[in-house]
Amino acid sequence: MMRLIRAELFKLRTTNTWWLFAVATVVSTTVVLVVNCVNAHALLGTLDQYLTAHSHGNAVADMPPEFLARLTAEWTSGHDVVTQAATIFTSGQLIGVLLACLLGIVLITGEYHHQTATTTFVLTPRRTVVVASKLVTAIFVAALSWVVSTVISLVAGVAFLSNQGYSSQLDHWSVVRAVLLNLAAYALWAVFGIGLGAVIRSQLAATVTATVLYLAGTAAAASFFELINTYVIKHDWVLTAQVIVPSVASAVMVSPAKTFTESPSQWVGAAVLIGYGIAAGPIGMLLLRRRDVA
Amino acid sequence: MSDGRIVVSGLTKQYRTVTAVDDLSFTVEPGRVTGFLGPNGAGKTTSLRMLLDLVVPTSGTATIGGHRYVDLPEPTRVVGAVLEASAAHAGRTGRNHLRANCIAAGLPLSRADEVLELVGLTPAADRKFKGYSLGMRQRLGIAAAMLGDPAVLVLDEPANGLDPEGIRWMRELLRGLAAEGRTVLVSSHLLNEMQALADDVVIVAAGRLVRQGPVADVVSSLSDGDHVEVFTPEPEKLRAALQGLGASVTADGGGSLAVAGVTAAVIGRAAHAADVVLHQLRTEHPDLEEVFLQLTHGKAAIR
Ligand SMILES: Nc1ncnc2c1ncn2[C@@H]1O[C@H](COP(=O)(O)OP(=O)(O)OP(=O)(O)O)[C@@H](O)[C@H]1O
Ligand SMILES: [Mg+2]
Repeated sequence: MMRLIRAELFKLRTTNTWWLFAVATVVSTTVVLVVNCVNAHALLGTLDQYLTAHSHGNAVADMPPEFLARLTAEWTSGHDVVTQAATIFTSGQLIGVLLACLLGIVLITGEYHHQTATTTFVLTPRRTVVVASKLVTAIFVAALSWVVSTVISLVAGVAFLSNQGYSSQLDHWSVVRAVLLNLAAYALWAVFGIGLGAVIRSQLAATVTATVLYLAGTAAAASFFELINTYVIKHDWVLTAQVIVPSVASAVMVSPAKTFTESPSQWVGAAVLIGYGIAAGPIGMLLLRRRDVA
Repeated sequence: MSDGRIVVSGLTKQYRTVTAVDDLSFTVEPGRVTGFLGPNGAGKTTSLRMLLDLVVPTSGTATIGGHRYVDLPEPTRVVGAVLEASAAHAGRTGRNHLRANCIAAGLPLSRADEVLELVGLTPAADRKFKGYSLGMRQRLGIAAAMLGDPAVLVLDEPANGLDPEGIRWMRELLRGLAAEGRTVLVSSHLLNEMQALADDVVIVAAGRLVRQGPVADVVSSLSDGDHVEVFTPEPEKLRAALQGLGASVTADGGGSLAVAGVTAAVIGRAAHAADVVLHQLRTEHPDLEEVFLQLTHGKAAIR
């Protein structure tokens, strides 16, 4: 098993996968970090400043009332340095967990794409061991990418906060918890990637599916559950149930503030995500165990 | 070297519409090269994949030295395999591909360089796999199979894409390995090559066993031994002269006769005595190709 993990890591290092992955991690973290800092700067100011910043040169008094109400609600929930610190320190998450998922996908589908499955399974006929070492490898590399993006976010974030006149906020458990839960999110998405790659063997199809599900999943879920809530079941728990969508669950899990009005507490998101992880790993393993390699 | 006998017993693989392998049984002995022959779609590749536990049989078993492949504790050190549709990552160099295999199999990295040297791929070792020619890919596959210094070799059309030099090199390699007591099972469509290389053959068609045994036995079981091709401007005169010498003569038309039952020397003497001019006198040995075609003739090839 250790041998296979070392072999998987060696395989990653000997193609351009690793540096594409590294560049994507650094670039995406940096971009999201900048956006988050700009947002935080606005939200940590006074309400008047926030409204003025969004008035596009018009008088605040001329704003439509709904727009005014929305901005006020945004400011109220975001005007908290602990929340902003947690958001900034987990900047890597937005794209990072998607990358972790893609990594898991590539580890499995690459075997089919490059027709190396035969060689791999002749080398190690016990397929459970092969898949298990790919799981460990995916989690390990996802964790590395978490380290990279967290270090970048912490260094830049602490500098930003002190520039705004705040301490690092790292003495708040909810901030530290957010950073640690972020690690869990990376690991779980890597596990999904393995499961998804086993289900959809085509590298292109699996990659596109994961990206679309992740990026469009949240918005699609929001409108879908909104519709059900409006027309079918008129209870708030329907809206809360959005958390069963993986991308929503991972956002809920990491964010100490509410991600949407009816969002459940962090541990619910964590439970949902862990549930998916527990399902995805063994499903991938079962599929790959039974399938003919031809 | 542990007993590397391959035993295939009642092996069957049913795909949705075709029975790719149908109740196939045969054995492959150590210390010999066994040719695995059959028309396209006969089920050779499927059988070899079942032997290596890549494909799950519908029924039956295939064992190597008495064990199923999955149950071998260190499979790379027992079996080396070259199969179709096995490749390396397009963006990885040949050397790194072999090194990754070494790591996975717990072998020293230096083995990668040794097998590269063995298959003559050292000059291209640090180029990416996507730039390899067909023959170079095949050589890389053979190199990978040799990593663990295995007692059993399973090769699916390894000569595919090799140049004449490479084919001869492989013939010598496989003969040498068998002479060391290893088991060599090799599928191929190159029947002349197989006749030169193999000790035993296993012939399959339409998923079933057609014939198994030493090459010489299989060849002689069907043909009546040597015959002589004669070309003469006076075929009738020669036919008359050969009468009574125990020869059976068939006229192929255009002055060509096929003579069985007597040697070329006897025919030459009879022609000389009868004053018949000969333009050609050639002894034909029965060959594997002819026998193979006879044996597999009429068996639905591609199903
Ligand atoms: N995965 C599969 N699904 C369905 N049918 C298959 C599959 N693999 C093989 N077959 C069928 O099984 C039969 C045997 O195929 P196989 O590849 O074993 O033949 P082969 O003897 O190796 O032929 P060739 O000499 O052309 O390599 C063929 O009819 C083929 O179409
Ligand atoms: Mg074949």
